[in-house]
Amino acid sequence: MADMQTVIGVETRVSGEIRGGEDLVVKGRVDGKIQLSHSLTVDKGAIVQADVDVKSLIVSGTLVGNIVASESVRLHASARVVGDLASPRVMMEAGAAYRGRVDMGDIEAARAAVASRAVARPVAGRAEVARERPAPPRVAAPPRTAALPAKSAPRFVAPAAVGRPAAAPASPAAPPAFPRVAGAVSSAAPAWAKKKVRRR
Amino acid sequence: MANTVIGSSIVVDGEISGEELLTILGTVKGKIAMAGGVVVEAGATVEADVEGQTVTVSGKLTGNVTARERLELRPESKMVGNAKAPRIVVADGATFKGNVDMDV
Repeated sequence: MADMQTVIGVETRVSGEIRGGEDLVVKGRVDGKIQLSHSLTVDKGAIVQADVDVKSLIVSGTLVGNIVASESVRLHASARVVGDLASPRVMMEAGAAYRGRVDMGDIEAARAAVASRAVARPVAGRAEVARERPAPPRVAAPPRTAALPAKSAPRFVAPAAVGRPAAAPASPAAPPAFPRVAGAVSSAAPAWAKKKVRRR
Repeated sequence: MANTVIGSSIVVDGEISGEELLTILGTVKGKIAMAGGVVVEAGATVEADVEGQTVTVSGKLTGNVTARERLELRPESKMVGNAKAPRIVVADGATFKGNVDMDV
């Protein structure tokens, strides 16, 4: 039995913290925090409202929370993600909806920022967004770098981490801490987010 | 597979609730409330109040257990806490400390 994969099933909800050293697949719902030294998969239909610190992340469902992935993040077409994202490799398929800030630079700084803010961050505003499904219209998704020539699935592939000068000084306009996305829901949110929130 | 599995190197700190079978190989602290069954496998550690249709323990469980149908303590299992269930099976070799309430 020891080789069983960790799964949070469709009809299961976990509220609290999940830590561990193996792959985790969420098909149901998780609220809180997820910290893994392996990969996290958020399946289609799953809702995760948590700060996530993992090695690699694959999202096909809905994820609300700040993300730190030391290896890669892949957002499939059905993914709906709100939150700041820090990872050296980020892949978004056409159709994926994402709102937040991407940082492909200093993971450790981002991780520290997420950790220090985890307690204080207001979550209430985000809960509204998390419950929104069906997902927002795709046309309203953030600019998806349509200019990229690649026809194959990952439309937006980050320049590999190696190509980035590691010592590049963070510009003054880019503080190590991410902006709070929760606040943005009310004011600076895209039209679809506002509309959806209002409807409920 | 519509079940939930908590793998051997996973620690869950909080509450798990749901409508299906929960199999625990790792560690869960907090509270478990399932409409289906709860299985605490050998090697697993649960420090939580557990509620389920059937609760089967092969590992270590600390907390109060309410099983709507049946509680089974397998050989080698260790349980500390109160047990409430209409049917309780304690296998030879199981360790148990706590009150038993079978609603007599």
